[in-house]
Amino acid sequence: MNEAHATTPQMIQRTVTVVPEEGLHARPASAFVEAANEYEADLQIGPPEEDPVDARSMLGVTSLGAKGGDDLVIYADGEDAEAALDALEEILSTPEDEFDDE
Amino acid sequence: MDETTIDQVITEDLIVLEEPPANKEDAIEYMLDIAVEAGRVTDRETALEAVLEREEQSTTGVGKGIGIPHAKTDAVTEPTVVFTRSTEGIDFDSMDDQPAKLLFLLLVPAEGGEEHLGILSSLSRALMHDEVREDLLTADSSATVKSIIVDALT
Repeated sequence: MNEAHATTPQMIQRTVTVVPEEGLHARPASAFVEAANEYEADLQIGPPEEDPVDARSMLGVTSLGAKGGDDLVIYADGEDAEAALDALEEILSTPEDEFDDE
Repeated sequence: MDETTIDQVITEDLIVLEEPPANKEDAIEYMLDIAVEAGRVTDRETALEAVLEREEQSTTGVGKGIGIPHAKTDAVTEPTVVFTRSTEGIDFDSMDDQPAKLLFLLLVPAEGGEEHLGILSSLSRALMHDEVREDLLTADSSATVKSIIVDALT
């Protein structure tokens, strides 16, 4: 399944465990997608060994159905890839009750 | 998801192709009424509150012209999906600023557990395909919409 996801030499990836108990949806999901849209890097996310989806797309992120405790791999390709991974990891590592009501 | 399950989750009487009201909250109530008329909802107010409360956390306008308001609630006894569509699109405050033309209301029993995320993610995965969205926008009957959804989810 993974061959559809072309990797490039610059691409970096990081595996992160979803901390919010309810999983990656509602506030954590919108915070995640909003953050992903702030970077220039191409960002994708998906379960290990599976085709990832566009991390900038709410529809894509919702389609993952990621639950609390699941591992997800974030792929980043671009000049600010490292910073993007840090920001996205931070969001996935934040418990649900610590998200603002923004 | 297996075909029998989907067959029960979205019956033809839950698919209404007449235009919904033009604003988000009215459209949600319009879809809820479809579920109520189909005999799926035991307590309309409780269901509405649950959906609006979820909506307050973050919009269910997921982009690409799609809105999927949803909630877990004791006001339904079985998972239920209502479908309608808006020609002009409704402002769902989605991140990509596209008005929602394809609307799904998803209600699952509070005890539903994994089923909730399962239906939501399967539906989202199906809707990522341009062809599925286009087919749903142009389908001319509830029966056609139903078969598109069943095909896309199985």
